[in-house]
Amino acid sequence: MLRYAASRLFRAILTIWIAVTVTFFLLRLLPADPTLLVVEGDMTPKMQDALRSQYGLDKPILQQYGLYLGQLVQGNLGVSFRQLVPVTELLLDRLPWTLLLAGSAFVLTLLIGIPLGVYAAVGRGGPVDRAVQFFGITSNALFIPSVAILLLVVFGSNLGWFPIGQAIDPDTRGLAAYGSLLHHLALPLFSLVLVQLGPYALTLRTNMAEVLGEDYITSARSRGLTPRRVVWRHALRNAVLPALMLMGLQLGTLIGGAVLTETVFAYPGVGRLIFESVQQLDFPVLQGAFVILAVTVVLANLLTDLLSMALNPRIRT
Amino acid sequence: MSTEPQSLVTDPQAAALTTPRRRRSGGFFSAPSGWLSVGVLGLFALVAIFGPLFVDSPSGLGTDILQSPSGAHWFGTDDLGQDVFAQVVWGTRISLLVGAVASLIAIGIGTLLGLAAAYVKRLDPVVTTATDVMLSLPMLPLMILVTALAGPSVVTLITVIGLLSWPEVTRMIRANGLVVAAMPYIDGARVLGAGASRIISREILPAVMPLVVVNVLLTAARAVIAEAGLSFLGMGDPSSWSWGRILLNAQRSGTIASAWWQTLFPSLAILLLVLAATIAGIRYNDSRDPRTRGV
Repeated sequence: MLRYAASRLFRAILTIWIAVTVTFFLLRLLPADPTLLVVEGDMTPKMQDALRSQYGLDKPILQQYGLYLGQLVQGNLGVSFRQLVPVTELLLDRLPWTLLLAGSAFVLTLLIGIPLGVYAAVGRGGPVDRAVQFFGITSNALFIPSVAILLLVVFGSNLGWFPIGQAIDPDTRGLAAYGSLLHHLALPLFSLVLVQLGPYALTLRTNMAEVLGEDYITSARSRGLTPRRVVWRHALRNAVLPALMLMGLQLGTLIGGAVLTETVFAYPGVGRLIFESVQQLDFPVLQGAFVILAVTVVLANLLTDLLSMALNPRIRT
Repeated sequence: MSTEPQSLVTDPQAAALTTPRRRRSGGFFSAPSGWLSVGVLGLFALVAIFGPLFVDSPSGLGTDILQSPSGAHWFGTDDLGQDVFAQVVWGTRISLLVGAVASLIAIGIGTLLGLAAAYVKRLDPVVTTATDVMLSLPMLPLMILVTALAGPSVVTLITVIGLLSWPEVTRMIRANGLVVAAMPYIDGARVLGAGASRIISREILPAVMPLVVVNVLLTAARAVIAEAGLSFLGMGDPSSWSWGRILLNAQRSGTIASAWWQTLFPSLAILLLVLAATIAGIRYNDSRDPRTRGV
């Protein structure tokens, strides 16, 4: 068990290190000179040199890499080109909203996806199964901004049921604040879940179908347990853990979806920050956003793996 | 980029489950989903190749601003008076181009790595780890960063999406290749003195070829979504139209709520194309699988 945990931890650290290293070399190799991007136009060579040494760009690349790693460990992701604020500060301002959105989407997808997958697998070939398959394949083909725009126009603008933009009404206090939070969260969350849920339910359906073919299920059936009891007490128990791990693997896609959703709804998370930074070509922010999202995804993935491990006696070898 | 069609066809059993009722003869076109999906794909290809010959490139300022769909403007016009139908037609070319070429790049890399990992034992841990690492990273933010650094253009989009979409392919091809590599005829080939590259290219590759074909379609579908996502975030080629860019324009000009036609038609185009590619992939997989062919 410890060995499994250690190997997962090693994999997580390796992934973060690779993400960080790739980012560093991309930034150094792709554009001719990062200082040219700071301010367009009129810069004397002297100013450029000053900027270069300020960013440590006059040192050998390996030394730069070492410096960069050192800065990262201290949580320093550089300074935004446009807003002249530390990138870490900008990102930490936005991260909670992305965590809230992606985290609730994660939980909701699990809560709806598991029963859907189970019902489909149990009634294979029946109406529920075919509905799940139809939904799964369609939802897999949905483009998140399309869905988000549709929901925004219908429920936000036309019906006016939900607010557009922002994550909370700043004037609310106490319980009303939570209400406002949920009210703002509803549409972005729904569009994200709608797109995530389909492929997830489809995969679960396959997993569940395998579980239903296992010996202990046959034995439970032969003991005369009701089908309902067999499915919900015996089969589901063994389908939930793979379901959790599977969702962990989906985290990268989920975050990508959150970036697009936030953009449409002007939800103030990291994704919306990315959209704003793209327009201003603010590279340190884009880089920092990728690093922080990668770390978030890897840590969350590690967490789901360790949680499944703690719950699952089979992995404890 | 959004969701990956993971496990739509990861294993034969899953594929078998996809179409439980099929008990007909096995050809690809024997089910309506077969010819329908290929028909839609063909239609998109025709529009991409010949559409721009008949429809003028949407450019300049028109006088008909934000017109709803009519005989003169089938899909209406945007806030600059540009024809949305023309934008969708020209966008088809870019979306298909990026989808097809990026998919081929990803398939090339993915198949090579997957087969190498399946047959060469020493390579397996390296490839598997690289695949796992890539799959666990948030791909869209990475694509945004790389595209922004390289400078947005159609070539950049194709390269970035192609070079970052191979892990899903590698995973599937490796899993399938491992099964094939364990078969007796591979040992036979080795005994006869065939080298690793010959065995991989002449013996294993033909056996996993059907899965490669399926992956071309599924990866192309993902690439189309990725391209639309990047363009929507402003990372598209500024000099050419794409479906994502039409949505971005609507978002930027604040006409989302009033001009439904500006977002509806490109959205439908994305949905139809991706759906057709996915269904064609699944149908092809089913029609190759003896279990679902009802032989």
